[in-house]
Amino acid sequence: MPETTTRAAGVAVTVIYAALIAWLYARQPQTIAQVTGGLSAAVGAYRIDEQAFADGLRFFQSDRFVEARMAFARADPAERDVRTQFYIAYAFYRQGWGRLYHDDALYREGLDAVNRAIALAPHGRLIVDDARLQMHTADELKAELEAGIRVDASDFNPARLFRERK
Amino acid sequence: MTAIREALVLPSLFLTVGLLGGVRLGQTVVLVPPSLFALILGVLLVRLLIQSGALAPERLLSSVRTPLANVNGAIVLLTLWTASAQTFALLIPDAGLPRLAFNIYFLLLLLNTSAASPDRRRLLRSLAVTFGSVFVLKFVVLAELSAPGTGWLKRVLQAMVEGITLGTLTQEVLHPATGYIAFFVVGLFLLGVFLLPYGRPPASTDLQNTLYPLARTT
Repeated sequence: MPETTTRAAGVAVTVIYAALIAWLYARQPQTIAQVTGGLSAAVGAYRIDEQAFADGLRFFQSDRFVEARMAFARADPAERDVRTQFYIAYAFYRQGWGRLYHDDALYREGLDAVNRAIALAPHGRLIVDDARLQMHTADELKAELEAGIRVDASDFNPARLFRERK
Repeated sequence: MTAIREALVLPSLFLTVGLLGGVRLGQTVVLVPPSLFALILGVLLVRLLIQSGALAPERLLSSVRTPLANVNGAIVLLTLWTASAQTFALLIPDAGLPRLAFNIYFLLLLLNTSAASPDRRRLLRSLAVTFGSVFVLKFVVLAELSAPGTGWLKRVLQAMVEGITLGTLTQEVLHPATGYIAFFVVGLFLLGVFLLPYGRPPASTDLQNTLYPLARTT
């Protein structure tokens, strides 16, 4: 191989390898699925498992939230799909919702998921067109989750007993 | 030095050190970039490598080389610096008194070695011994002191050490694989340093006169 070719190939390989390392440091992926999913998303080749997503949606609509999240996680193992992350966050919200009190641990996980969805959405704007939901945007869902975690005077308002889950 | 070594082997090797040196295993895998102080130590080490002749920068960057070859040379220097910083960051404990002590130790050691002006062979030997001993201190001695006690005697000793040092000595418990990764990273870094293009150390005239009194230089 001519020396010029070797040197040019060296520059190309180094730039690609350095970019990969910078991406890994910035994204901090936890699993191999997240690494491969992130890389394929970067080139626009990432696709979720539609069958698993449909299963998750079916579980979600029948209030089986743990099963729903498992199916959604299977559908989007790299956590790169906006809509799936929105539904995961919604599942945490609905499971953690209570008339007297909310489950803070579930709400926090929901907040993480909705933040992921917002980060992935173009310009952070996410609207899910699902008539069976009462909150259609990530902003509404995030506000609801944050309000659930926060302790303020409204928590002691007896009228909250009449609130409905969204 | 061959073009393959300069363009492919050395950058890949140093980038691998930069990648694996930041891996911290725990409940989750975290990639930690080198601290600012580690970057400064990295600069000092590169300077020391040049001073000792273990790295000949004119063989990487010069006006007689083609622009593409100079790009390769610049990449080698840049990746060497990041790998040096990451190796220091890996070997320095993460918290407490040992972190401060190791930081100061490395700084003084680099300055002292620079003042001693060793040649390439001595510097490489010194680096291997230093990194090896610090590796043992962090990943064997400190890790053993910080690991949860299994017997009553060890728990008592640990409680005493904790009490005497006010909890500033013990570190977060390391994942069993961490030491193996660190060993590989340090070995890889030393191999990379060994493979760098080297030249004649720019010895001072005083030193030359001392060593070779019959061939005095002015």
